[in-house]
Amino acid sequence: MPHMRRTRTLAALVAALSIALVAAGCGDDEESGAASTAAAGSGEKTKVGFIYVGPKDDFGYNQAAYEGSEAAAANLPDIELLQAESVPEDAGAERVMERMISQGAKVLFPTSYGYLKYAQAVAAKHPDVVVVHQGGLEAEPKQPNFGTYFGTVYEPVYLAGIAAGKATTSNKLGYIVAFPIPQTLANVNAFELGAKSVNPEATTTVVFTASWCDPGKQAQAATALISGGADVLTQHQDCTKTIIETAERAGASTVGYHYDASSLAPEGWLTGSEWSWGPMYTDIITAALDGTFEGSQYDGDYRVGLQTGDNPFVQSAFGPSVTDETKAAIETAKAGLAEKGIFTGPLTDQDGKEVVPAGTTLTYDEVEQMNFLVEGVVGNIPK
Amino acid sequence: MTALRRAVAFRPTGVLVTETLRWAATVLVGLAGFAFFVAAVGENPFDALSAMWRAAVVDPIGPGEVLVYAAPVVLAALAVAIPARAGLWNLGGEGQIAMGVVGATLASQLLPASLTSWAALPLLAIGAAIAGAIWCGVAGLLRITVNLNEAISSLLLSYVALRVLDYLVNGPWKDPGSLGIPQAEPVPSAQRLPLLDWLPVFGGGRLHAGILIALVALGVVLYVSRRTVWGFRLRVVGGNPEAARRAGLRVPLLILTAMLAGGALAGVAGFVQLTGVEGAAKGGIAGVYGFLGFLVSWLGRHDPLAILLGALVVGGIVVGGDALQIDAGLPAAAINILLALLLLAVLGRRGRTAGVEG
Amino acid sequence: MIEAILAGAVRGGSSILFAALGETVSEKAGVINLSTEGSMLVGALSAYAVAVETGNAWMGVLAGAAAGATLAALFAAMVVWRGANQLATGIVVLFLALGVTALLGRDYVGVGVEGFDRWAVPLLSDIPFVGTILFDQDPLTYLALLAAPAVWFLLNRTRPGLLVRAAGERGEVLFAAGHSPRLVRFSAVAFGGMLAGIGGAQLSIALALNWSENMVAGRGFVAVALVIFAGWNPIGALVGALFFGGVESLQLQLQAQGVSLPADLLNALPYLATLAVLVVLSRRRLHAAPEGLSRVFEISR
Repeated sequence: MPHMRRTRTLAALVAALSIALVAAGCGDDEESGAASTAAAGSGEKTKVGFIYVGPKDDFGYNQAAYEGSEAAAANLPDIELLQAESVPEDAGAERVMERMISQGAKVLFPTSYGYLKYAQAVAAKHPDVVVVHQGGLEAEPKQPNFGTYFGTVYEPVYLAGIAAGKATTSNKLGYIVAFPIPQTLANVNAFELGAKSVNPEATTTVVFTASWCDPGKQAQAATALISGGADVLTQHQDCTKTIIETAERAGASTVGYHYDASSLAPEGWLTGSEWSWGPMYTDIITAALDGTFEGSQYDGDYRVGLQTGDNPFVQSAFGPSVTDETKAAIETAKAGLAEKGIFTGPLTDQDGKEVVPAGTTLTYDEVEQMNFLVEGVVGNIPK
Repeated sequence: MTALRRAVAFRPTGVLVTETLRWAATVLVGLAGFAFFVAAVGENPFDALSAMWRAAVVDPIGPGEVLVYAAPVVLAALAVAIPARAGLWNLGGEGQIAMGVVGATLASQLLPASLTSWAALPLLAIGAAIAGAIWCGVAGLLRITVNLNEAISSLLLSYVALRVLDYLVNGPWKDPGSLGIPQAEPVPSAQRLPLLDWLPVFGGGRLHAGILIALVALGVVLYVSRRTVWGFRLRVVGGNPEAARRAGLRVPLLILTAMLAGGALAGVAGFVQLTGVEGAAKGGIAGVYGFLGFLVSWLGRHDPLAILLGALVVGGIVVGGDALQIDAGLPAAAINILLALLLLAVLGRRGRTAGVEG
Repeated sequence: MIEAILAGAVRGGSSILFAALGETVSEKAGVINLSTEGSMLVGALSAYAVAVETGNAWMGVLAGAAAGATLAALFAAMVVWRGANQLATGIVVLFLALGVTALLGRDYVGVGVEGFDRWAVPLLSDIPFVGTILFDQDPLTYLALLAAPAVWFLLNRTRPGLLVRAAGERGEVLFAAGHSPRLVRFSAVAFGGMLAGIGGAQLSIALALNWSENMVAGRGFVAVALVIFAGWNPIGALVGALFFGGVESLQLQLQAQGVSLPADLLNALPYLATLAVLVVLSRRRLHAAPEGLSRVFEISR
């Protein structure tokens, strides 16, 4: 008997769900009808999808990318943006991309590092859609409708390292990093090299939090570095607010990342590295919509830096404590970077082993494979 | 009122109608609560719900995606349902799924990459099942040896397993070719579950054979629990362990085997996610499938058919939630509200009987 | 450096301690609340939002406490009055909290807040070693440290505490004495949620000064494990919370000194330690478990 009751319950539940779904479906028809008339009225807009790993107002990576997308939309009145925030770096990201395509998206910008393989899978399935990944390197087989792009993050980070090296009195700088990936290691190294170029005593201590945004852990990491003597903190995290404010409260200086957060640290803000994605996004979308993407500079792994002129990474405004002498040193260094890259030999790693011989400079591709910390960095790459 | 209800109850169709209305009310309560929250942040709830409906059902890729999501939920729910027959709580689904991923990856590393799909996939599945079974079996073992409650131990073990997987993909198993993304080397393409793109309804989507595995597992569980001596004995133990002992049943062995079987099913869920969806072991691959499976199984009173239905509803809500992000700009986690309110409405409706039944 | 590690343990452990104390009260009344993590989340967001809107951090704490209690009350209403299953309801309510905070918290991402500063206790903070560790913290951390003995006193030396323990051990007796075991359980769970809410507040407006989605990041589950680890003893919870907080602090401090440990395995340690304690002392521990709580699992026996 209970068995029968259960079956009946099930049947009832199915019936109830169907009713609810049909009801929702009816509303849906009117809705989509209205939407399509509206679209027809305003002329057909091409849809461009942006996917972010965090919230679009995080004072960090995602906010910068979001503002880039808005800038591109302002430049290109014929496009309509599809946006999705806080999309985890798992198969769900692939689903979101598929959904955007089924809504008519012709260009997709999966903007987080961990989206890479999902982005490539989507590109393989939809040859008519251009997919460009922010920060990754295209794996084999290469696809004509897929590309990656990024700036040379480490250039403004190097320049900020100069400001940090000048500002520190304890000669200890702190770097709070999420994961030890080549991009973050390159930043840590550039920061230390920048600091060392003006202050040979400066060391950079690196702490990995194993999370892009765990504010509780960030606060603890920042406090740990400060209690260990660091008086300038910087970071490679997605949400940046906690570390900047923790440093400010402890009287330490801050070098920002991703976004100008000087408002959070009126005293201690030195400078930072931030993005200006608008022009590059605009250019990529234009190429994609003109049908000239294939074979263009973006079809493949596109990297720009000071040597090529239009680095999407720019240096943030200086804080009040930065002296004119420091600013001048940074200007000089900046001009120098356009000549010769940061990772120019001889460079030795923490164990004193030569990793870049004299006379060679790492190419952008080699930097993207970086797996060492230079001499002067305290801390280990977790094994 | 009571008289009326009794009169209605005599006719099955009458019951069906009242039951239908009550379930409709339950679902509506959940939807209304969700609509309230959506309206509270200034979005139109009807637009949000219709966008969800389109994404999960109308859109060509929707139904396939629902099944992709439902497959591990079904398996994770069955992993709860079998121990539950014997009155046991398996709360460690995530960890057992993670261990399944570890077991399958280990099997994949040991096997020659040249092995055909037909030979390799079952071996990977077995590796996953064994690993999941061990992890859940530990909880069973602790239960029968030191009388440690399995709900607590399986939950604690789950966190340990997740950390172990994190450790492996950040350390010894980290793929040097992944450019720093913490994940293991991808399994060879022969070790990926085949896509079901030959099915006309789901053409072009990501739907893979995992749902078939889940359905087969469902059938096996249905058969085993209703038609075998073991299944019957589990129910006796779950009903009254003291009576079971007096009747000469080997209760500890039944407890252990129930936990082993549950863990094996969760391990297979890990295998499905690895070979069907992700292609490489990585942290976070277990998602919240264990908890979802627990809820689905529990709300469906551990009945396999109800589990299937529940998993489809969960999958529908999650896939529909994607549209919520794109169209309404709501965070992905917002769909947890809808999920929770629907489940709460069901929980509340089920009321006291549910508490007693466990 | 040991000083810094321990100071970090206290600071990082205090949110967990609040939640663990709350869960202790709840479990003493015979109810295991898996949505402790949820109470912390709504507490963290509410505290942050109210502190932002009013500019007063203490108002934030009140809001966090109220939100944590409300969520727990929802859980308790389902479990105590409707007789719904505790474990399942706990997980459902946690999902609700995750969703609600993600949705309503959108407006507070990246918004500045006037949170709690560290406040060194005059004189006491000058004591070498101990001063830095215990007396140079934020106000909510002091509150957490005081809450542990207070909850012990409440449970063991007061009439409401007696009622709570009676509800957990022998509901029938309570009933015979003219009290409602259900009302007592409901109140105990709501009280526990309140403490968890304050724990969330510590995280958002004292430790991190930030709100972000899912920022509790598993600390609530740690608290639930901790209660059992501590044998349902508030003082044990204090020790356990310091241990859990210490593992994180140790790991970060060592990194800051240039020593790196396998963080993932280290993070598994608290759970393994809890398991080990349970196994070694299982008989005594189960004896120490409130009778009514055993009954939750008893169904399975």
